[in-house]
Amino acid sequence: MIEFLLTLAILAGINVLLACGFNLILGYGGLVSVAQPVFYAIGAYSSALLSMKLGLPVPLAMVLGALIAAIASFGLSLPSLRVSGDYLVIASMGFQLGIIHIINNVEFTGAASGLSGIVSAIESPWRSQIYAGTIIAICAVTILAIRWLVTGPYGRAITAMRNDEEVFASLGRDAVHIKVTLFAVGSGIAGLAGGLYAHYFLFLTPDQYGIFSSATLLTMVVVGGAATVRGPVLGAIFLTVLPEAIRFLNLPIAVMAPLQGVIFTGLVILFLFVKPEGLFGSKSGGGLDAWQSRAMSSSMRKGAK
Amino acid sequence: MLSARGLTKHFGGVVVADSLDIDLNPGEIVALIGPNGAGKTTLFNMLTGFVRPDAGSIVFDGQRVEKLPSHQRARLGLARTWQRPRLFESLSLVDNLMIADRDYPGERLIEMVFRPQHVLDCEEKGRERAERLLDRIGLGARAEGRSTRLSYGQQKLVGLARALMNDGRCILLDEPMAGVEGRTVETMKTVVRDEAAAGKAVCIVEHNIGFIRDICDRAIFMFNGRIVAEGSVHDLLADKRLTALYFGSHS
Repeated sequence: MIEFLLTLAILAGINVLLACGFNLILGYGGLVSVAQPVFYAIGAYSSALLSMKLGLPVPLAMVLGALIAAIASFGLSLPSLRVSGDYLVIASMGFQLGIIHIINNVEFTGAASGLSGIVSAIESPWRSQIYAGTIIAICAVTILAIRWLVTGPYGRAITAMRNDEEVFASLGRDAVHIKVTLFAVGSGIAGLAGGLYAHYFLFLTPDQYGIFSSATLLTMVVVGGAATVRGPVLGAIFLTVLPEAIRFLNLPIAVMAPLQGVIFTGLVILFLFVKPEGLFGSKSGGGLDAWQSRAMSSSMRKGAK
Repeated sequence: MLSARGLTKHFGGVVVADSLDIDLNPGEIVALIGPNGAGKTTLFNMLTGFVRPDAGSIVFDGQRVEKLPSHQRARLGLARTWQRPRLFESLSLVDNLMIADRDYPGERLIEMVFRPQHVLDCEEKGRERAERLLDRIGLGARAEGRSTRLSYGQQKLVGLARALMNDGRCILLDEPMAGVEGRTVETMKTVVRDEAAAGKAVCIVEHNIGFIRDICDRAIFMFNGRIVAEGSVHDLLADKRLTALYFGSHS
């Protein structure tokens, strides 16, 4: 039982990192991308392969995995954001399918049967305890770093950009630069989460990083409250624990399997209509709320022309 | 200072700007007048980079800028306001102004991480300037409040103050007086006059003839995407042919 709870804590911690990273992109940047799991995959595979093939120490491999994920994000953000944010959602779908297709078909990554034999981060009888503690500490540092980032001078710029991007540019501010930066930081955090996953569970398959994973992360951010610091943290914990709790209901597998998907998508739709600021967001001050109204006003402007 | 030649723009088959030439000089306030749809705002948008001209050149402070994106032109010191105030509603007034500092290192993460002291110094200077500007428009006491609590005219004043944070050499004002009434009228006039007196080139799109007569040195009359007359405010306002164009009578 204690092992189960520790594993749940580790998974929750990894999801907190993923959701916080995604929130920087979706909530604070106002950038609609579905590709967050891809950077999670890039971090996981890079870190695993760097330690397996090159014999790098695991912590170094994890940091490099995060960096590689951040750098890989430019491949998606630079071409699509230079043109217009509207292309990002489509480009991100293509990016996700493409990268997963590559992982699925390259011998190097273990292809569709998955990558096994990953080096464990720690060898100790207290492995799970130490790992859970480390992940909680990394989450705490990440959350504090994000809070520092989104308040103060940088946060002022992010808020102004989300309020009115055209005026923002007329004042000399570079919105593309900020978006590309947020995208890289959010992707780097996902990459770090990937490394943390790889060196604990020691097995990766490409289908972990598909569209279902995107939907789960979106649910965590939206239900918790986009563009708030604590929203995605609580959303991630809640939605990591919920499916496990459902398991205790002992439903037949034919009901269980689709139930999770139904709940998650149902939650997103419910929250977007009823409570777009999320459980822990504030009514004013942006989030998806601001993003929605901005999307609406820009489409109205286009209509007027 | 700012000098544009041959600016041309078509939207579909409609010519909204037909080979426009305009020169703005330091210390001079120029009015851009004409009926709605004449292309005044399009001209502003071309000068500030929000509309890409089909042809023409723009020189600002000795530098070709027609290919630069909007934010880079603003960084060179070309500021503007909008017909609506368009303040950042999630920010306080002082934050609305601070974000408009021409060099705002806080927008770059690299600076935030590697030069935190520099960012903090700029914050402090920016806050002082922002507070002084808010005092100038009589809203110093509201610095920490949100823009949504202000009257429309006060919001326009904040929009002007925000553009002045740029402290550039040229400022374009798009209908500064529209929706402005009461005491804010005099404040608006005083601030604009003071900016010109400090050596800035000012260009104003405006329908308020009284305001133009009071503060503008020169006027440019636009009609159907063309500049049809240019001269002293007095002469242009006395021209019966222009009055007819303005009010749409073809007698």
